[in-house]
Order: sequence, then structure tokens, then C-alpha cells
Amino acid sequence: MIDFAAAADALSLLFSSATPWLVVVPGILIGLIFGAVPGLQISMAMAIFLPMTLYMDFMQAMLFLTAIFTGGSFGSGVPAILMNIPGTSSAIATAFDGYPMARKGEHNQALGLALGSSSFGVLLGYLILFALIQPISGLVLKLGPAEMFAVILWGMTLIASLSGTHMVKGLIAGMVGLLVGTIGFSEAGMLRGTLGNEYLLDGVPVIPAMMGMFAASELLRLVNTPYLVENEAARKVNIRLIVKGFFQAFRYPTVLLRGSVIGVFVGAVPGVGSSVSNLLSYIETKRRDANPDSFGQGNPKGVVASESANSTSEAGSMATLLALGIPGGGATAVMLAAFAMHNITGGPQFIREETDVVYAIIFANFGQVILLMALALMFLPMLANVVKVPMRYLIPSVLALAVFGSFGLTGNIAGPMTVLIFAVIGWLFRRYNYSVPAAVIGILLGSMAESSLLHTYQISGGELSYVLDRPVTILILCLLALSLFGNKLMKLMTARRAAKAEA
Amino acid sequence: MTLHRKMLADLGVLAGLAGFTIWYLLDAWKASASAENLILIVPIAAIVLLLCLLDLFTQLKKGVTDDHRNREPVASILPVMGLFAAYVLSLEWLGFDLGTVLFVGGFLLLQGERRWVWVLGYSLCFGFLVALFFANMLPYPMPMALLPTDY
Repeated sequence: MIDFAAAADALSLLFSSATPWLVVVPGILIGLIFGAVPGLQISMAMAIFLPMTLYMDFMQAMLFLTAIFTGGSFGSGVPAILMNIPGTSSAIATAFDGYPMARKGEHNQALGLALGSSSFGVLLGYLILFALIQPISGLVLKLGPAEMFAVILWGMTLIASLSGTHMVKGLIAGMVGLLVGTIGFSEAGMLRGTLGNEYLLDGVPVIPAMMGMFAASELLRLVNTPYLVENEAARKVNIRLIVKGFFQAFRYPTVLLRGSVIGVFVGAVPGVGSSVSNLLSYIETKRRDANPDSFGQGNPKGVVASESANSTSEAGSMATLLALGIPGGGATAVMLAAFAMHNITGGPQFIREETDVVYAIIFANFGQVILLMALALMFLPMLANVVKVPMRYLIPSVLALAVFGSFGLTGNIAGPMTVLIFAVIGWLFRRYNYSVPAAVIGILLGSMAESSLLHTYQISGGELSYVLDRPVTILILCLLALSLFGNKLMKLMTARRAAKAEA
Repeated sequence: MTLHRKMLADLGVLAGLAGFTIWYLLDAWKASASAENLILIVPIAAIVLLLCLLDLFTQLKKGVTDDHRNREPVASILPVMGLFAAYVLSLEWLGFDLGTVLFVGGFLLLQGERRWVWVLGYSLCFGFLVALFFANMLPYPMPMALLPTDY
């Protein structure tokens, strides 16, 4: 599976001169900034800086772009923890426990935990990629629309279970979200639910909707709060506590490993990838924990589960890009453009003929993790100071940033309008106990769910037996059923065993 | 708010979601009744409506539990929501620079900040610096009152 001669060539390619590394530090910094500023996206950073790669050789261009990717993947968790604004959809689950930790005054530990789990995730993800790039790419080739729909369904159903006692409302929120996600032109060319508004032809802008529902609605709820962290003594920014949080992540090796494995395999599914992997990892960790009720209240394991999965997804999406030439999301789509700019086509032939380059990209990411840790430890104390800012200054500033960022995403006033509308909806949802994350995931995956279901229908001709012939779909559906009913079945069996023993 | 009014508000949100679902289903149906168009919308809408009925019966049976965790005083939130709405709706003619300065300044005053130097200083610095940053970073022209619209 591992070509050792190519691995040796890769090392000499990387370390024969310092030139390829010169772009890594700026790349990580750009990624950190674009990930940490609400509204700026990793893919946006990569697109903005893509023309610069024309002046680099392919290896250097890849190092630069993957450095932005690595920095951004971690950076997007920072606003999720400090302001409840997931920088990207892959950091949604980070906010579930990261933000409550910050509100309890544990922002230093939460940021450290995120850094520790992200670094571990990137490292393990690329190690798995190094060992298994060919089998993973073979597996991805077996994934069709039926499997994608099953993965979406898995993510969607599980998210409702996070609503605890309000599970029905969680399901309603998620399903309405799915409907909202299908607004606009369908794949069959039909126009639905736009009310004649031309801004909705391409559907509801997802990221502005996410910013409105998560961030703006939460900020509206906090208008009467003087500080994000109410206890003055807990507002300190402490590098020692950040480092402590970093190492604390390794106290949960099972959570880290589970998150990483989910991240690399789900991350390899084009389109769905990191948006679902962080949620699956979070939900599985919560489900298996002895105290599931502590999740959502600031349980460190929640941050570890989410961050380990979303950072490993980077390696998963790189697997599909390198081995098949299929971009899994916005960031890898920009990388594909960089491939084209250097006259390179990803795919099995690329892996076979340029194994040393592929390995060099993987090895470079190991180095990037070390640089990320150093740079993040320098920058996190500065970012964590946000807890010292009075809410009357923080709220309008973040709301304005969300408005600017949403304009940046859509290029017109539709972005800010979406933030406003979904801020009000999000506030109502929170007030009446409808799950905001479920609704957001629904909106995010709605059109993808529709097109994968439609493709499955078209390929199968409406025959249900088609699904029975697809082992991966059945496996995912079994996992879905197990996640939903596994605990109940176990409890039932234990109760029966206990009853038998008594008899 | 009495328990009765809380229940009505809860049911109002539920009715709103059910209403949206029915409207969207009909709108999609009107666009085309083909399986390709409705393959996801019909089953999901049916599930939503069933769940809404289930929740309605549960609420009517149990009554409203007085959950204080998510019930912040509306009176203090509505003015902020109004200010935010005014900010977003006026952006196209006030511009991102001036609009942001007015929004941040207005918010500070609304929240009880009475130090004029802080209100003016912060809103001016924040509004113009952020507008300048985004105008430089984004590839599209942004509506502005005082700063150049494109870089």
C-alpha cells in the first residue's frame, strides 16, 4: 500500500531546499484570519490568493493552499467558541459545547482543546491518507447518490436527537430546514417558493442564513448581558490555560480517534464531508457518554469530538481530490483550479505516476501542523480577549461583521437581508425550543438531499431493489438505525437479562 | 405574559411552520406535479405536518410548561431587533460605511452608553475601518456614502 521509494523521493522534494516552506507560514496565517473572521470563508481566501500560485511551482502552490486550508479549518472554530458563530458549517458542533464553555469562563481551555484536537485530527487524517489513499479512493468510487442520500439522512435524523426533551420540535425544525434548502430552481428546472424574488433563484443563501440563525439570534438574546463571561475573575486570558486545554484534548483518546476516523471517511464523501462529519462525531460521542445530558452545557468532549472530525475531513476531501480529481467542497474546488493552472489532473493516473508529489503534499501537512500549533498559540491569547469586551460593544460589532461578511458571500443585499430574516427566525426558534442546529443542517443539505434522491430514483427507475444491491447504502442505513435505536435496544436487552436473572 | 398567552405564542409558531409547509407544498405542486419536482418535497412536507399535529396534541394535552431558560424579556429585545432591521434595510442608500457608524452608535446609546467620546469614537473608527477592510477584500463594489465604492 505504501510506496517507500516514492516516500523517500517526497522527503527529498520537501527538504532539499527551504523554498517550498516559505509560503506555509503566510498560508496558515491567512487561513487563521479568514477562518476566524465571521463571514470570510476558507474557500474565499483560497480564491483570492489563487492567482499568486501562478508564480509558484506546483509543490509550492499546493503547500500554500493546504496551509490556508489547515489554518482555516482550525480558525473557523475560534468564533464558534467565543461568539457562537461557526466560521464554516464544519464548525457547527464546535459551538454546541465550546460556546457554553466560554460563557462559563473556560474560553482558554476551550480554545486549547480545539487546537489540540484539530492538530491531532490533521496529523492522523493525513497519516490515514498516507497509508490508505488508494483504498479510500476506491471506496469513494463506489459511492453513488443513494449513499450520499443515506449519509445526509443519517446526519439529519441524528441532529434531531440533540433536542433532548423537544425531539419532535427538533425534527420539525430539521425537516422545515430541508424544505427551505430546496427553495429556488430544482435540478429538473422548476422554480419553487421564490415569491418572484430574483435573489432566491439560486436558493436561500446558506451561510448568511447560518450566520443569522446561530450568531445574530444568539446576540439578540444577550442584549441584557453585560459581558460574555459574567464572572469578572473568569475573564482572564491565560496562555497557561490554553496550553492546559491543548493537552487536555489527549485525555479523551477514544473521542479523538472516533472523531478522526469519522472525519476521514465521511469527509471523503463529496459535498457532504465536513458539514456532516463534525455532527456525527459529536452525536456519537454524546450517545456513548455516561453523562449525555452534560453535552450542550460545556462538556470538553463535545469540542474534541467536533474539532477532531472536521480537521480530519480535510484529509478525506484531499483523498477524493488527489485520487479522483473530484472536489469535495469550495476549498478543494479552488485547489482543483490550481491543479488546472499547473496542467495537472488529479486521478488514479496522477497517484500512480506522481506518487512522490502526493506523498510530499501529505508530509508537508505534518510540518504544517507543528507550525499551526506555534502560530495559533501566539494568536489565540489575542483572540480570546474578546471575552473582556462589554456586550454593548461586542453585539453591534459582530452583527455588523456578519452583515459585511454576508454581503461578501452573495455580492448583493440578499446576504444581509438573509441574516436579518434568519436572525428573527432563529430567535423565535430558540425562544420556543425548536432546534436551531437541526434547521441549519436542513437548509445546508436540502438541495443536495433532493438531487441525490432524484439521481437515485432516475438510476434505479423507481425500483427499491436497487438499494438492496448497494452494500454501502445498507451499511449506512444500518448505522443510522443503530445510532437511533442502539441505546434503546441495549437497555431493553439489559432489562430482559436482569429480569431473567431475577427469575 | 400569562400561561394562556404563552401557549398561544407557542401554537402560533407551530401554525406558522405548518402554514409555510402547506404554502411551499402547493407552490411546488403548482410549478410541476412531476415526481422529479416533488420527490423530496411531498414526503418531507407530509412528515412535517404529521409532526406538527403530534406536537399540537402534546401541547394541548400537557399544557405549556413554564420554561424560563429561553424567555428573555421581549421589551428589551424588540428595539434592538428594530434597529438591526433598520440598519440592514437602509444599507443600499445609506451605504455600508455611514450605515454601520449609525447602527453601532445607535446601539451604544440604546444600551445606555452615555460617554459621547466613546460612542462617537468607537462607532466612527469601527464603521469606517471595517468598511475599508471589506471594500478592499471583496471583489464587488459595495454601496458607500463617503468611502469609494470600489477599489
